[in-house]
Amino acid sequence: MGRYFGIFLTFARACLVRDMTFRANFLLECVTSLGWMSMNLAFYLLVFTFTAEIGRGTGWTREPFFAFVATGLIVNAIVQAFFMPSAEELTELIRTGGLDAVLVQPLDAQFLLSLHRVDYSSLANGLVGVGLLGWAVSRFAAPPPLVAWVLYPVLVACGVAILYALIIMLAAATILLGRNQSLYDFWFYLTTFSRYPAEIYAGPWGGPIRALCTFVIPILLVVNVPARIIAQPFTAAAGPLVAASLGAAAAMLVISRIVFQAALAKYRSASS
Amino acid sequence: MGNAVVPYTRRMDNSPPAAPGQPTVIQVDRLAKQYRVFDKREGLLASIRGLFHREARMVEALRGVNLTVNRGEFVALLGPNGAGKTTFLKLLSGIITPSAGTATVLGHVPWERADAFRRRFALVMGQRNQLWWDLPAAESFRLHREIYRIDPTRFARTRDDLVAMLDVGGLVNRPVRDLSLGERMKLELVAALLHEPEVLFLDEPTIGLDVVAQHTIHRFLRHVREERHVTVVLTTHYMKDVVALCERLVVITRGSILYDGSLEGIVDRFTSHKIVTLDLDETPAPGRIERFGFPCEIRGPRVTLRVDRERIADVLPEILRGEPVRDVSVEDVPLEEIVAELFRGAAAGAP
Repeated sequence: MGRYFGIFLTFARACLVRDMTFRANFLLECVTSLGWMSMNLAFYLLVFTFTAEIGRGTGWTREPFFAFVATGLIVNAIVQAFFMPSAEELTELIRTGGLDAVLVQPLDAQFLLSLHRVDYSSLANGLVGVGLLGWAVSRFAAPPPLVAWVLYPVLVACGVAILYALIIMLAAATILLGRNQSLYDFWFYLTTFSRYPAEIYAGPWGGPIRALCTFVIPILLVVNVPARIIAQPFTAAAGPLVAASLGAAAAMLVISRIVFQAALAKYRSASS
Repeated sequence: MGNAVVPYTRRMDNSPPAAPGQPTVIQVDRLAKQYRVFDKREGLLASIRGLFHREARMVEALRGVNLTVNRGEFVALLGPNGAGKTTFLKLLSGIITPSAGTATVLGHVPWERADAFRRRFALVMGQRNQLWWDLPAAESFRLHREIYRIDPTRFARTRDDLVAMLDVGGLVNRPVRDLSLGERMKLELVAALLHEPEVLFLDEPTIGLDVVAQHTIHRFLRHVREERHVTVVLTTHYMKDVVALCERLVVITRGSILYDGSLEGIVDRFTSHKIVTLDLDETPAPGRIERFGFPCEIRGPRVTLRVDRERIADVLPEILRGEPVRDVSVEDVPLEEIVAELFRGAAAGAP
């Protein structure tokens, strides 16, 4: 485990050296990312000028909702910084035969393929997310209990794990298909559902979406569970939520591992 | 009279020059690889039709190949494009899995991808860059040390030795993207050898390189093989690589091994004649020289004849006795010619 951490640090260091080599590009990426996030926040502020709550009786008033948005920013920043850049590169690695070089190294291929690139500019959003969370929580009528603070990072990690597993399964599809742009688009569309409180998925259309995104592809657990733990009153209902999140994360990681290994066994390699 | 020129060092037998007494490093039995490929017809209508129905066919990249390589051998895999050379290397290095057959490299089944196996070999692909593109090679070397868990002192010593041998000390701290192809290939070789592999797979390592870089790499690989007793399997299109580096040649065409033996053996097996070049005092009269053999070229007093191998001992004294010879040379048919003929024969479906 220590060896893998050491290798990850070497990757992280190399990516930092590279980012600093192209400083203007790095700064531009930070500015673009922060700009997009600011527009989203402005949009939500605008929404709250018309309503006091997202959905009647849901508890998602302005400050709790911004804690929800902050949690989404933190989860997505981690995924975008540590996992997505490597996954995005996979299609190119397969097309050019670069995956061959990965497979001959005495290292877990899944680790190498999912963690060899770090996008530091994405962490800027995460830092803003932490700041936003601090601001929102400081304005709560009652501060979250200590147990919520302890559970929060664990549940954020579960959310990251669920998204990571999804990326790995899409990467496996890329290995099998050779090219997979549409499936990454699918990932974007799917994760869009995770950005809003689960309560908005109600009624004849919302119900099936909520069931699908909770029990089949547990994308609704990614942000909703940690955000609910920190931003909503802590009750006995938290227990099943935490268990569901932990269980879903573990199951997704196991399934994605099996799918990825099966795909690697069927890898055809590009012609030279 | 000049000396007869023999271009390649000759060995007396035609058997594969496997390193005798050395342990077997690579053992391949009836190894086969088939691919399912989809044909795509030209045109919009055909493309739309292809959405619903695709025509698939099986391509046999490798057809039941057998091979044994002993420790310390330097084996060249030679074949035309699409012959199956690279597929063979990919199977031996565990990148892909076979459709049938078995193989062991250093006692491991390659496609099981055990770390214990992957620590003991290296693969260098001439057409693919394995170093970090935007960073100096020194960064890739550092990563290599972490991945292969190389002791820092040993790492530094090996790196410095390899860098000195290839004279690339001034390049390791420059971004790889700023280096020439030859410089990159030298650094790729350094990276590949940092963990002191026992087996080295080289896929066209000199492709696109100038003569000087080719020569440097040949010298380096010879040194590595002699000093470190590394077993090397090389694929190439260049006969220069084969002649400079390998004692054993494996010719692959259409997924099958057509020849496995010494460089000299291929000459003996696939040609029945030698090339005799005569420098005469004057241009021979028409019909005078043909009795010794088939005249390939007559350019003034310089004559090139193809003479049956079995007749050479009788014909040479006869020429020297009866003709005004200033100089004579006897050569084997150039290896390139033999190999090209083999490739053409295979392409035409000859056995």
